[in-house]
Amino acid sequence: MTAQRLPRTPKRLDAIPGRSAHDEQNLAMIVSLASEVTILRARLDACERLLIAANIFSPHAVDTFSPDPAAQQAREHMRLHSMNKIFRPLQEAALADLAVLSQPADPETQL
Amino acid sequence: MSGIVEARAAQAHSMIALPTHDELVEQLFVRDLKLFVAQTLEPVQQQIATRLEATIPPQSTNDPVAALRGQMEEVESFKTWLSLKRETQRQLWAAVEDCVERQADELEALARIENPKGSLTIDPDFKAPAYITHGDIHLMPGGNAYDDGSLLQGAVMDRGGAVYMLGRNGGMLNDLRGQTAMAHLLTIAPDLEPARILDMGCGIGTSTVPAAQCFPQAEVHGIDVGGSMLRYAHARAEHLGAAIHFSRQNAEKTSFADASFDVVYSCATLHETSPEALVNILAESRRLLRPGGMAIHLEVPLLHTFGDLWQELSAELEAQYNNEPNWRGALSVDYGQLMRAAGFTDVRTGYQATAFNARTAPKKFGDTSDGVFRSWFVTSGKV
Repeated sequence: MTAQRLPRTPKRLDAIPGRSAHDEQNLAMIVSLASEVTILRARLDACERLLIAANIFSPHAVDTFSPDPAAQQAREHMRLHSMNKIFRPLQEAALADLAVLSQPADPETQL
Repeated sequence: MSGIVEARAAQAHSMIALPTHDELVEQLFVRDLKLFVAQTLEPVQQQIATRLEATIPPQSTNDPVAALRGQMEEVESFKTWLSLKRETQRQLWAAVEDCVERQADELEALARIENPKGSLTIDPDFKAPAYITHGDIHLMPGGNAYDDGSLLQGAVMDRGGAVYMLGRNGGMLNDLRGQTAMAHLLTIAPDLEPARILDMGCGIGTSTVPAAQCFPQAEVHGIDVGGSMLRYAHARAEHLGAAIHFSRQNAEKTSFADASFDVVYSCATLHETSPEALVNILAESRRLLRPGGMAIHLEVPLLHTFGDLWQELSAELEAQYNNEPNWRGALSVDYGQLMRAAGFTDVRTGYQATAFNARTAPKKFGDTSDGVFRSWFVTSGKV
């Protein structure tokens, strides 16, 4: 990892009316993720094209690839891992709502 | 898509930071996201603005842009669009900084030039004016005057500038404004053979090199507030074969003698200053010119040429959220009046057709804009 030598945060970022800091943070993270996915896909595409050019596999090898049972299991695990990672905030929010609704009623606040 | 393309061979000019595969894709992502924001999302906001504008009674306000802005700020998608637009700019600099930092040592080595044709003078006690230090122009972290003793900020501005302009200003050379300023000179004074030329607010010299190319016999100078940028400008010009003398100076009051230049020009500098500095820079360009000399100041299209309220609001937002300190001031003044007040004669204001090569470009100058990037606003005057 290269050490950062240059500043990364610009001086003066005027607030946009109606946008919270939280909104801005979320948007910045989404854009960064979209950037990473775009880079990843381009890199994968470069790998495929290089492998085809080197006659390592045929042009349709990826699209016609059929994983064996062990590979299928491993890939299912990867997909599940991704789901849990990406949608964790939704699960946490739902669990928090459930926890509130599941608390026994407080007799002092009951009429 | 001209300019930046996904081919490493097309990325090269002498000093520019070269991206890896992943860095180039990241920069292209930023470029494409900027285009998406401008060409897909913004037209919808423009349509919303048109509908809201129709609900504002004509007599109800003296400031229709502010009235429209107030209405738009109630629209959720407008705020998201504005946030995303700014975030693309932040992503741009982050992507380019990674690319530059990775090859910092190579760039510094390239900048060590044995027998330079030009020169570099950095005043260590230089104080940048407030309009530069108040906020980082174009959101470039550290700002234009940043100086850590290296040339890295200049390298960031070079590569970032080419991505920022979406390749529409001469690809990786980013030099069409300088070519256009020289084309204007050849349009209005074809017989002038300048011996000394000064570029005010030269940055990394993208607009200065065209002057040296167009007038190879002339002694060409470039001044700017940024130490890192000037170090890079010097190395870049040397690698491009241009003999240019760079110095760190404030364009409002330079150290040059009275009547010491034949041509003084600036390219998109005035909107990055202040209303007071703009007047001072015009006066300084007048002071520096010999009798018969020409001043040329090139800018982005003036606000009244945009033609509708949304374009004015969009420009105002660009100024505020992209830190353009004198956008409204520089794009709404009466340049003819200011140039005459500064003492110039034969004052011209209008639009010069964008030149890819000042010598061979059509010498087209007139009252109307051909559109952004197809022509540039220019004011010029003679001493």
